[in-house]
This record gives sequence, structure tokens and C-alpha cells, in this order.
Amino acid sequence: MKLEGEYVFDGPREAVWELVRDPEVLATALPGTQSLEQVGENEYVGNMHVRIGPVAGVFDGRIIVSDEVPPESYTLAVDGRGAPGFGNGTGHVQLFEQDDGKTLMQYQGDMQVGGRLASVGQRLIDTASKSMIQQGLESLNNALQARMVAEAEGTDVEYVPPTEAEFAAAVAKDMAGEMLPSRQVIGIVVAAVAAAVVAMVVAIVWLGARKED
Amino acid sequence: MTKKYLGQRMTRTEDPRLLTGQALFVDDVQVPGMLHAAFLRSDYAHARLKSIDVSAAKGRTGVVAVFTAEDMGDAWRPSPPNVSPPPGMPGVTFHSRTPVPLVKDKVRHAGEALALVIAESRYIAEDAVEDIWAELEPLDAVVDLETALDPDAPHVHDGLESNLAAHLTQEKGDYEAARDQADVVIKRRLAIDRCAAGAMENRGIVAHWDPKSEHLTLWDTTQAPIPIRNGLAALFGLAAPQVRVIAPFVGGGFGPKIMLYYPEEVVLTWATMQLGRPIKWIEDRRENFFATTQERGQVHHAEIAVTKEGRVLGIRHDFVHDTGAYNPYGLTIPLNTQSHSMGAYDIPNYYSDLKVVFTNKTIVTPVRGAGRPQGIFLAERLLDLAAKELGMDRLEIRKKNLIPPDAFPYEHKIIDQAFAPLIYDSGNYAATLEKAAAMIGYEEFLKEEQPRLRAEGKHVGLGIVPFVETTGVGPYEGARVTVETDGRVSVATGVGTQGQGHFTSFAQIVADQLGVSPRDVRVVTGDTSEFHWGTGTFASRGAVVAGNAINAAAASVRKKVLALASKVLDTPEEELELVDGLVRVAGLPDQSVGLGELAVMANPLRGAVEPGTEPGLESTDYFGPQYGAVANGAHALILEVDPETMMIEIKRYVTVEDCGTVLNPLIVDGQIHGGVALGIANSYYEQLIYDENGQLLNASLADYLIPTATEIPRVEIGHEVTPSPLNPLGSKGVGEGGTIPVPSAFAQAIEDALSDYGLEVLEMPLSPNRLFELVHQRDA
Repeated sequence: MKLEGEYVFDGPREAVWELVRDPEVLATALPGTQSLEQVGENEYVGNMHVRIGPVAGVFDGRIIVSDEVPPESYTLAVDGRGAPGFGNGTGHVQLFEQDDGKTLMQYQGDMQVGGRLASVGQRLIDTASKSMIQQGLESLNNALQARMVAEAEGTDVEYVPPTEAEFAAAVAKDMAGEMLPSRQVIGIVVAAVAAAVVAMVVAIVWLGARKED
Repeated sequence: MTKKYLGQRMTRTEDPRLLTGQALFVDDVQVPGMLHAAFLRSDYAHARLKSIDVSAAKGRTGVVAVFTAEDMGDAWRPSPPNVSPPPGMPGVTFHSRTPVPLVKDKVRHAGEALALVIAESRYIAEDAVEDIWAELEPLDAVVDLETALDPDAPHVHDGLESNLAAHLTQEKGDYEAARDQADVVIKRRLAIDRCAAGAMENRGIVAHWDPKSEHLTLWDTTQAPIPIRNGLAALFGLAAPQVRVIAPFVGGGFGPKIMLYYPEEVVLTWATMQLGRPIKWIEDRRENFFATTQERGQVHHAEIAVTKEGRVLGIRHDFVHDTGAYNPYGLTIPLNTQSHSMGAYDIPNYYSDLKVVFTNKTIVTPVRGAGRPQGIFLAERLLDLAAKELGMDRLEIRKKNLIPPDAFPYEHKIIDQAFAPLIYDSGNYAATLEKAAAMIGYEEFLKEEQPRLRAEGKHVGLGIVPFVETTGVGPYEGARVTVETDGRVSVATGVGTQGQGHFTSFAQIVADQLGVSPRDVRVVTGDTSEFHWGTGTFASRGAVVAGNAINAAAASVRKKVLALASKVLDTPEEELELVDGLVRVAGLPDQSVGLGELAVMANPLRGAVEPGTEPGLESTDYFGPQYGAVANGAHALILEVDPETMMIEIKRYVTVEDCGTVLNPLIVDGQIHGGVALGIANSYYEQLIYDENGQLLNASLADYLIPTATEIPRVEIGHEVTPSPLNPLGSKGVGEGGTIPVPSAFAQAIEDALSDYGLEVLEMPLSPNRLFELVHQRDA
């Protein structure tokens, strides 16, 4: 499976670099991560709870960072295994300074999955992984904002990462959106609610009018 | 014998039990003290097993034992092959590699079992499976059958020089010379992908070793209980009578349940003997997708040589057959493909080069059709291409080449799946094809209906193909028929039953021989303690081989009945008749004796009997055909394609079948309905999709599309009857015929419907997506 995308961080490249190379921050960015520990200069091990459609479970994983060119680019090799199957792959991440003080992240990777994850989760895996990356990057961006505020004001970092439930809800919303465009869903809900309200108002007015008879 | 019941459209005697939930299936078996098993299976398709740590699983409360290959000691060994390897023939290469009970060194397909957990409940066993840590080093996988023999391909089996499992060529006449004389030679690549059998009931086993009686009982969803019993006895050093294998009601076999010996059968037997407690294992649907065998999976480079008059001079094909990770079933499937690659036609020159390859995918053994659909697809596609090239009518070119009725027995001059000469015994192939053409309204459709519908903008097409089906192969089956003292009749035979209606059609045979109602005939199948000689249910042979054995045993009992009744009634045998459970003097209905009374007299408690007398009214007989009976038929359909969505709608489906003597038309119709449903599935729905790492990507019934009633049309059935001269009943098999020609007919109909796109259908199965791609590839 090919993964490719980009994301704009609201902060300078050096700050983004520090952030993405900090295992603690990374762990909070992908909720479900139960631990992420640095075991070598460029090597991390940890475990993460993942749910994709009907497939859920804990993955034990190892991440190796290589080809580091601070603060421009690095390569990630990920290898994870658990009851739901396995996944491994490599990804290349590049950071570009933008004129407006923001940072563009581009990533492309190749992922192989196996086990239940592949055989039962196949239909959902593409959307789910894209959404998880997107949600994860958004959490990272929020963490970045919190860091920058703390630095500017000389206070402690006040950032509460999303809980696993919040994260899962966001992913689920994304995936539902894939099946039915979200605007359409909202439209249907709004229309239904509006219709119900109108019906109630009409009923109340009508009942009131009858009482006055 | 008068045919009162044979040939009757009798409702099935087993159905009330099945429909009211009273029938015993393996999962219904409950034995006191029974434990439950779950397997740890490899997620990788190809990997080296470095180590395996089961300590956490063993420590879980409720876990009784955890076993790996190492624990089995000397009991760990690859299974014996299912079928005899090819005899030493010149030019035949065959490397036998059979499945192992649990992986010891290397995983060769995803889903191969690494460890067995036995626990107080299935829930605990499943949880404990997740406690096991297996250190697996992934290896590159061999997935694509066409590149499996590339020099740089990884090897599935380390001890072999390549992934070549077998190589065999067959030749009839001189194809090269025929090609030189031909006016037209057409070459194409044809591909048929993998499918599952998709039986409603997955596999299941209850294995029970009783240490005190030193007896093993195995309830098993097998199609071959007797070979399983014999094999397990040999593997575990037991005498055959110490092992009883029971195949109770089985929710569909379709081929994969003939496989012996599944690793689970061996390892559960070993485990119950270790623990002295009964163990149940019921396969779940996901396991079924990985651990139960699959089929199809061939690529052909095919060639046909024809004259401008449309006479076929020869066919050549060089093909690769995917056997998966192991080849326990020998060459049965690709030999069947060769046996059907000339279809129903008289083709003077033939050359076939077969290469079988190992891949890191689930093992391939027969699935309903068993190589035959691939052969028919080849012959029929080539004829369609030739007809187009020559501008000939597709029925015309077929009629020109069919084996004529006076050519039987027709010797094909190649070998069949048993390495014996392939002979077609009987039939009237033109009659079945013409009947199908008449039923579908061939002329009228092409001349009137299709032009009219096309003018309305509808893409409607017709497909029509004849086919043959080799059935009823040997070696033999047997049966014991007994008249009980209450006048009812018991029948026991060795074949297993997976929904074929054996209880009814076998009873009909006995009823006619003994003059009783089929409802008074109790049939037992698939229990080795009831009958222990035989081979199993496969190759559409139940009605032919077991049916004729039952007929022979019933005829022997009839003789005993007549001999005894003749004495009792003091009347010559030829003046007696067997009617309504009585032996009567013809024309004097008052003078009669009941079958039950005769059974009592045949087994006296005191007194003397004549020397040489056998007790009871019972006989055991066997039937082994000289060679297999060959059924034939023709299918025709009309379908409409929506060129925007590529969804199809089958408007009509017609089959004409010649399965010789029809024992029960209702059951035959049912076989055809089911067969056609699988054929349609093989054409447009069911396809197992593997990625480049050997991961099966649609291992659930949400993603693997088994068609439902809404996709399967009403099937109109016609019959021709050419009794087989090879057996007294004149029967031929019909179990696979419904499936075999469907992809060929379907491909022709789709091409016809989309004729304005100039499409050629050279692969199966298709799907809306795939058809869309094919049409738009041509556009580009």
C-alpha cells in the first residue's frame, strides 16, 4: 500500500523538526500508543492499540530513523506485529520552509500489511490509515502550538493530547465521510431536525388555536 | 425388477430431519469431558520459524495443553499423499511435497498452523493463542504462477531446484503437422483465477481416544471417512478396527473435504491420544479461507488450428497450474483439465505441456469441477475465436466438430486422471446441444430478439456451449443390504454424504429390487463401523459407483429372498413377485409371506440348517467400473450488460444434461441448480485475491462474494438419456456438470452482448470492475 500526502504546520521548520523527533510527543500524537521508548540513537520500540473496522488489537513495534538531514528530511522504517497481524514499511518525510513562517511536510511511504488486518480489514485500511495520519498530524500541530505559546510566555506547556476515544471518533467520522460525503450527512440531519421543529411548532400553534375555540 | 421408484421425482427422505434441526453435524457432538482446540496460524505466507514461546499460553487459567511441532517428536511427519503419484512414465517429472501437522522450520502459506492450544473452552483457547509469541523471519513470497519458475524466484521448498512440482506432456497425433495444414491458427493467453469452495459448514473434528478401550472415535466433516480411518490407524500404529471415523451430516463438501489428511486431523488425533480426553475443533470462516484447500488457478498459452470450413485440426496448450504450498493431490486437477481440453469434440491432433508450480498460497485440491471448467473454457473459447475469424455461426462450427453418436466408445488416446486411457463411453452430443439451442430459442433470438433489443439500446447477448464431464471413476465402492425382522431394509455404504440426497436415491434403488417403499429403507453412509470398505465421495461418483454397489447388494438379497420364499410358499421363484414388503405368488395375492417373517426364518434360534447356508437376508457387494462414465450436456444463457455499471442480469439460463439413467430427477435438478450457481460465481463473483506477499485480501464473506438467490436466475432444465454401458443402472455422474461449462457460456454471452466494443474475454472470473477495465483498455 502506498501512502502519500502533505500537511502544513503552523510554525517554523526547526520547531517542527524538534517535535517530530521527540518520542514523547510522537507517542501522544497517535493515541492508542501505549509506550514509545528510545532504545538506541535512532531506534524506538513501543506498542500501540489499533482499530480498523472489525479488527482491533495491540501492535508491538519498532521504528528506526535513518538518512537524517536536520531539519530537512529523514526516513522511517516501521515494523509492527500483534494479534491482528503485522505491518511494516518505510516512509520518507521532508520538511519545507514556507514564506509565511509555516512548514510544509511531505511524506511518501510503502506499507505492507498482513494477517487479519489485511484479510478482513482490507476494505477499510486505506481510508483508516490516511485518516489516522491526518488526525495524528493535527495532534502534532496542536502540540506545536502549545509549545510555541509556552516558549513565548515562558510558561509550562499546556497541551492535552486527544484521548484514544476522541481520536477513534475522529477517524470513524472520516471513514463515514468516505462512504457518504459528510456535507450530505450534515445536510440530511439538518433537514430532518428542521422538519421536526417545524412540525412541532405547527402542532403547538394548532393545538393552542384549538383551545381558544 | 420393475422400476416403480427409480426415476421418480421423490422428495428427499432426509429433509424433514435437516429442516427441523434434528440432523447431527459435527458441532452437535458433545462428549463428557470434551476440551476445545484453537490453532495459532501464520500471518506470513513465507517465513522461517526461528523460535516459538508458548509459556504465557500454558500459564493461562483453563489451558490444558499447548503443542508445537517439537512436542510431537516422531509423530511429526508429512502426510502420505492423497492419490498415488504418477507411475514412472517417460517424460514425467513429479516432486511430492505433502502438508505437515504443524510448522517446524518454514511457513509456506498464510494460515499454516504453528501451534495448537487445548483448553476448557474455545474462548480460553482463542485467548491463549494470542499469548503465544512466534519469532518468524519473513521471506519473499512466490505468488504469481507465471513467474514462479523464474530463475530468481524464491523457493517454496528448500530441497528442490526450483518451484516446479511437476512436468508432463501429452500428445495425440501430430499437432505441428496439423498446424501446417491449417488455414487459420489462433493463439491466445487464457487465465482462470482461484476460487474457494465456500461450503456452508466449515470443517470440524471431534477426536476422542478412550485409553481404557484403546479406541479412537473421530467425528469429521470429511468426504472420505474410510481412507481417513485407514490412514490414521497406520499413522498411529493402531489396527483399523480400533479407529471409527464418522462423517455425519455435512453442510456441503464440494471437493476440499476429500483432502486427506488435513493437518488438523492428524494433530488432533495425536493430541487426544496424549491427553486421553475428547477434543473438539470447529473451523471458523477466516480459517476456512486459509486452511481449507482451494482451486482453479491456471494460465494457458493456447492455440487452435482450423480449416476454412471450420473443421478443427488440432489444439495445443502450454499451461501452468498452481498447486499452492504443497501437492498432496498429485496431478488429478491438471490431468482433468487435459481430459476436457478437447471438449465434446473429435479433435485429431493435440499437444499439451503441463507445468505444475509451488506457490506460497493455500493448497490446491479439487473444488467442484476439478480442472474440468478450465479445459472446457480453453476448448470453447478457442472455438468461439475460430468462428469469429472464419465468420461462421458458433453453433455451426460446434456441430461440425462434435464427436458423433456412432463413435462411442471414443478413445481419446491420452491418459486420464488415473493414468489410464481416456475413453468417452457413450452419448449423443449433438442431441443435447440442439435441445439447448431449441430451448433458448437460438435462431429466433439472434434473428429477431437481439436486433430488436439492440435497437432499443440494450446490450443483450447469448452464450451456448456443449461440454463433457468425466464421472463415476473407480476404483470401487461397496454396500451391505439387510432385510430386518420388521420387514424394513438397512443399507450401509462407505461414501460420505454432504447433501447429495444419497439417503433417498440409494433407497429408491433398494426399494425397486426388494419391493418395499423407499421410506422403509434406512441408509447409513459415512460411518466406518457400519461399512469399512470404500474410497469416498468425489468425482461425481456416488450415484454411479456406490449406487451400483447398492444395486448389486440389493439384487443379491432379492435372490436370497426369492429362494427362501419359494420354499416357504412352495412355488417356483419365477412365479413370485416382491410387492409392498411381501413376497407374493403372482396372480394369487392371498398367498404371500412378509419380508420380515422371511428374515426371522433366515436366522433361526434352534435347529439345523443346511451346510453352506448364510444366516439372514443380507448381502455385501461391490462395484468397480472398467473406467469412468462420461456425462455430457449443453448450457445456454441470455444476459444483459449495463455498459455504464457493467452489472449483468441473466435473463434466461438453460441446461440440457445427459447423465444416463436418472435415479431421481428432483435430486438431479438440485445438483444442476447448485452447480450452475457455483459456475456463475466462478464467472462473475467469487475470486480469491492475493497480494504480492501472498496475503489473501478478501478472507471474509463480506469481501468474497458468494452469490445469493438474487443473482442466480431460474434454471430451465432439459434431459437427454443415454444410459452408460459401463454399469447395470446405466447411470453417469451429475455433481459437477452444472458448474463446468458456465464460465465458457458466460464469456461468449458477454462478448456477444458487448459486440460493439470488440471485446475478447480471455480470463475468468470477471467482475463489474474487471469488465469495465477490459472495455476501457480496448478504448485506450
